Amino acid sequence: MATRLTIDPVTRIEGHLRVDVVVDGGQVTDSRVSCTMWRGIETILRGRDPREAWVFAQRFCGVCTTVHAMASVRAVEDALQLPIPPNAQYIRNLILIAHGLHDHIVHFYQLSALDWIDVTTIPKADPAKAAALGESLSEWPRNSRQEMRKVQDKVNALLASGQLGIFQNGYWGHPAMHLEPEANLLLLAHYLQALEFQREVNKVVAILGAKTPHIQNLAVGGVMNAINLDNVATINMDRLWAVKGHFDGVVDFVHQVYFPDACALAALYPDWFRYGAGVRNYLAVPDLPTDGASTAYDLPGGTIFDGDLRTVHRIGSPRDAWWRDGVTEDLTHAWYVGGVQQPWVGETIPQYTEFQDDGKYSWVKAPRFQGRPMQVGPLANVLVGYAQDHKLTRKWTDLALERISTGAGRPVTVDDLQSTMGRYLARAIRSAMLIELASKHWEALADGIGHGDAATYAPPTFPKGAVEGVGFHEAPRGTLSHWVVVENGVLRNYQAVVPTTWNASPHDSNGHAGPYEASLLGNPVANTDKPLEVLRTVHSFDPCMACACHVLDTTGRTVATVKVL
Amino acid sequence: MRRPCTTTAPAPVAVIGLGNVLIGDDGFGPTVIALLRAGWEFPEDVELIDGGTPGLHLLAAVHGRDALVVIDTVAGPGAPGEVRRFRREELTALPILSRVSPHDPAILEALAIAELTGRGLDVLVVGVVPASLAMEATLSPPVRAACLAAAALVVEELRRLGVPPRLRLDPSAPDAWWLYAMDAR
Repeated sequence: MATRLTIDPVTRIEGHLRVDVVVDGGQVTDSRVSCTMWRGIETILRGRDPREAWVFAQRFCGVCTTVHAMASVRAVEDALQLPIPPNAQYIRNLILIAHGLHDHIVHFYQLSALDWIDVTTIPKADPAKAAALGESLSEWPRNSRQEMRKVQDKVNALLASGQLGIFQNGYWGHPAMHLEPEANLLLLAHYLQALEFQREVNKVVAILGAKTPHIQNLAVGGVMNAINLDNVATINMDRLWAVKGHFDGVVDFVHQVYFPDACALAALYPDWFRYGAGVRNYLAVPDLPTDGASTAYDLPGGTIFDGDLRTVHRIGSPRDAWWRDGVTEDLTHAWYVGGVQQPWVGETIPQYTEFQDDGKYSWVKAPRFQGRPMQVGPLANVLVGYAQDHKLTRKWTDLALERISTGAGRPVTVDDLQSTMGRYLARAIRSAMLIELASKHWEALADGIGHGDAATYAPPTFPKGAVEGVGFHEAPRGTLSHWVVVENGVLRNYQAVVPTTWNASPHDSNGHAGPYEASLLGNPVANTDKPLEVLRTVHSFDPCMACACHVLDTTGRTVATVKVL
Repeated sequence: MRRPCTTTAPAPVAVIGLGNVLIGDDGFGPTVIALLRAGWEFPEDVELIDGGTPGLHLLAAVHGRDALVVIDTVAGPGAPGEVRRFRREELTALPILSRVSPHDPAILEALAIAELTGRGLDVLVVGVVPASLAMEATLSPPVRAACLAAAALVVEELRRLGVPPRLRLDPSAPDAWWLYAMDAR
């Protein structure tokens, strides 16, 4: 008997992700993913000055503030063919690295960990064994028996009080949770430690960006950070060292806690390499430019089709025709007027219908590459780099695979990463790479300044007539691109093609499902009242509905409804 | 005076305005922050944050504080523009839902997670009931009218916490570019 399960956390306020799955015989047989809020926020930018667009763009989304700001200035710079000073590139890169690390740490621990660890088993754990487990994973000094005992006491007190707080809605005792109490205790201890480190790395954004979450230092043409080693109000040696100090403060946490934890979780839940592959076409763009003209990058980009790493095709820069000509948006099943559009001529005219399984059912457009759905995100990032023999990607991916193979007692290969678990791992692999690159880009900045280079800004000039540009950024959730048309110094069109629209896209005119939808097919569901397994796969993408609004709801709500078909 | 950037401990009191300034009355929180900055001077122990819609990233602003004052829009009973106050006990009694996206409003979770780290936060939420959440950078008349009342409540709370701000003798215009953006186009 089939049942239809609708997961729609906010039933009264618009702006969120809705997931509908049909469950038959204990697994998902059909799926629809919808965003319930109009996503045409870019239209607010038409007619504006391209130099101020990033200030608006950074408000598209409250979680991805800096990434939209960055894509916006890059888009206008691309339209003008305007190289920026290398210092500006490095300052931007350090902000992007810090933002990405902050995002990945919060995703793994605060957003996802409770899908995998059963907190209610922690009172049964032996703190000494939990400490020993920790010691077997890494050198991290905060895995001691005392530390484990302290965390256990805290959990005991919470459970005894009957007020579960943050643990109140976990699917405790679910058959899909099967870690030993000691592993649960260790991971929860790291969940609490992660709170300190997410804040630590976020300070880099505050120092270089002047404010967080909304940075103030960007400009079309570079950054507004003045560099003067003798002036306290600008970037001086004190601030540079403070930035380095905050990065150094999280290196050990990433390498000795987050990365080993992600590998251990994968080794303990190896089944999850079998679920959630979904769309096996991948897209990533290069990022962390190392020259002012953005022709060389530290993280590679490219495409892969049909899960075959040999099909990899490099994307070298935003001017690459493979990239520029490849992207379209398909509106067939989205609540907009129109068919298939290239972003520069894209329109965002709403055409709302009811939720129609075979008609229109989402405010998310369906971006496609050469007409095909693509998965974006850290997994795409890792696979595209691995397929091109990118050294740093190989190093951390091979290390992860080795650890997991040993832990799981069977070989786990790079192809296994095409799965729900692979997406969690890829984020940890990418974090390990990013923290290494932070040192490199910090040194490049300090070197340049040390040699007397204080340039951070190249003023833009706008030509008569129309020019097109695209700015991209490999954001924490994957490929983000802003497409602009500037005419006589004014924005004529602006389209943002965001990671979650690639991944949460509805069906297209060829009937192809989007990555979320496809990844849910075949996903197990042991109990439709507790759709934990569906959440694991959805969370593996780290969904972010751009432009959601923020209203504190003081009335009761429900998450999931179940209907027998 | 800005705190030196090398300080490791955050200011003990944070005043956080939440909401999306491009979505009508949702911009209430950031607008009140702009109003506070323009009209008052704050002691070093108070940090004002235009928080936007950070979802779980709110943790970065909450972690390590002793007290929070949050300015936000609230759903629930009340006429548009009505200002409602909530204390920690009322908030922690509300159910926390399964999180699908990092974007869902996260005040309740951020507070619950702060409890885990052993800090009993002193919390006040100053909320306004919105009239319109249309996609435009402006506030409706009743919500615009409520901004000053909300700012006064924040000031009152900071006095109670022992970190009173001082009224500026030379107030500036609030730096709330979103309110002027639609007119300027």
